[in-house]
Amino acid sequence: MNRARRFGTVIGLVVLCAILWILTPYFLTVSNLLNVAEQTSINAIVAVGMTFVILSAGIDLSVGSIVAFAGVVLGLALRGDQPLAVALALALATGVVCGLVNGLLVSVGDLPPFIVTLGTMSIARGAALLVTEGRPISGFAPSFRVLATGRVGFVPAPVIATAVVYLAAHVALTRTTFGRYVYAIGGNEEATRLSGVAVRFHKAMIYAVSGLMSAIAAVILTARLNSAQPIAGMMYELDAIAATVIGGTSLMGGDGTLAGTLVGALIMGVLRNGLNLLGVSSFLQQIVIGGVIVVAVLLDTMLKRNRM
Amino acid sequence: MNRRVLFAAVLIFSCASCNRAAPATGAGGKPTVALVLKTLNHPFFVDMRRGAQEAADRLGVTLQVQAAEREIDVEKQMQIVENMIQTGIQALAITPSGSREIVSALVKARDAKVPIVVVDTRLDPKAAADAGVHAETFVGSDNYEGGKLAGEYLVKATGGKARVGILEGIPGHETGDSRLRGFRDAVKGAAGVAIVASQPANWERDQGFNVFQNMLQAHPEIDSVFACSDLMALGAVEAIRAAGKTGAIRVVGFDALDDAKKAIASGSMEASVAQFPAEMGRAAIESAVKVIHGEKLPDEIKVKLELVTRDNVK
Repeated sequence: MNRARRFGTVIGLVVLCAILWILTPYFLTVSNLLNVAEQTSINAIVAVGMTFVILSAGIDLSVGSIVAFAGVVLGLALRGDQPLAVALALALATGVVCGLVNGLLVSVGDLPPFIVTLGTMSIARGAALLVTEGRPISGFAPSFRVLATGRVGFVPAPVIATAVVYLAAHVALTRTTFGRYVYAIGGNEEATRLSGVAVRFHKAMIYAVSGLMSAIAAVILTARLNSAQPIAGMMYELDAIAATVIGGTSLMGGDGTLAGTLVGALIMGVLRNGLNLLGVSSFLQQIVIGGVIVVAVLLDTMLKRNRM
Repeated sequence: MNRRVLFAAVLIFSCASCNRAAPATGAGGKPTVALVLKTLNHPFFVDMRRGAQEAADRLGVTLQVQAAEREIDVEKQMQIVENMIQTGIQALAITPSGSREIVSALVKARDAKVPIVVVDTRLDPKAAADAGVHAETFVGSDNYEGGKLAGEYLVKATGGKARVGILEGIPGHETGDSRLRGFRDAVKGAAGVAIVASQPANWERDQGFNVFQNMLQAHPEIDSVFACSDLMALGAVEAIRAAGKTGAIRVVGFDALDDAKKAIASGSMEASVAQFPAEMGRAAIESAVKVIHGEKLPDEIKVKLELVTRDNVK
């Protein structure tokens, strides 16, 4: 059913790559494509959580702030000479707890996700600034930094992490009852509740997944910059929403795929990279990226109408 | 239909696998220099670009200017550096958005054998040394000296008696921290000068307004302001106007932006430390070209500073 749409975004990506290949000799090289994949990984991972949330007809505006908060928790733990495994666990737990708070406020508190996550966006950002006194924490051991700088064969570690995250999330979404409930809640929450599904529990879990994804992204970002910044991750929510929507997930919930989101994130990454390679003015870049988002949604809507 | 699409995709990618990349030489075999700025929505960096472009035209090099959308977005700046390296630039001039963070990107420039010229904001020496990153030179004003200039002026202008509120830049930024240190060191000697509040306003005009408005609520005795940048100073000027205290509070800023000069001429602002961003841009590109030609550069190229007051404002 949504195969035509999924291919729509893939075609979009292929066309985009073809255009850039024609316009600049630097685009289609192995090193540049790996470069794009590495640059896309953070947004792609945050967008996994966003896809879960949007599929359930919710929204999560707090992802960028959670990236910052989980990042500084990680940074402080590493600074405090905690073993790497403990520091990573603390960071991931921070993300999950933040997500759970969102989820419980949305499900048990029965509040609109937009408002809840708008509030927690500010709370998590403030918490990140508070615990660091506004200063970045930087300079970590190579054993940690390898999470961003390392390579397996010739593939950068963040790309491997992204692949693993997508595989796991894809399985969770398509092969488990939890995944089915994500779609069901987004499709018709009331009907799902009436058929005996613990909707509140599952909604809380959905936001927890989003928090976890933000924390994973925070680990990669912190390793990449060799610094945990309390001001990191600003506007990540918009990039993640854009990747999800370009990837064909309906903002009304119930319809969409993770493969689409990955393609959506790649489209944004390729676009930014290509515009840099072409030396396009940074102001024009913003216009182009915004235009692509609008066109993608427009195409999506038109395809949907044709199907009916 | 799906199969045809896949076929087309495979075709395109396999055609492309023939490597077409060659070192970046702009039109007519000119070398390409990249100038990566913190942002382009600040007059300081717009001026810097203008100076750089003039130098590039004069010296016959192709200049690629890129910047992140927001000044604090060091990850985006890192992406830009990575992308520019892919185009085979011969030299990289950069104003780091983060003194430590950007080192990770510069490691990639070093590995690609692209010489680095650092402009305006220094690299963190320890982070650079740990990563084995070496900048050919640093082009910029001494922000510490600038802060000191502002502090000394304030001590003199107030006759050594002042209650000072400070608007800081983003905490942890070398530029703002140095200006602040310079200012504090200059007023330390004056017993009658007390710093009663010091808060970050993150380089922004609207935050300068809000933060200073709040400061004034808590400390109505404030009679002098030092802002680490003119945008924040101009925000404070507006907050002072809103409080009906124009003329009663001295505002000293940094950067001598056009708007600040107008405010100084009209008397709503007292002074500003002038930097010469166009000069920095020019010196940065000249240095980059020298490096490309194999010339050795001094560790530091200092660009002058000047205090603009009502007496010398143009």
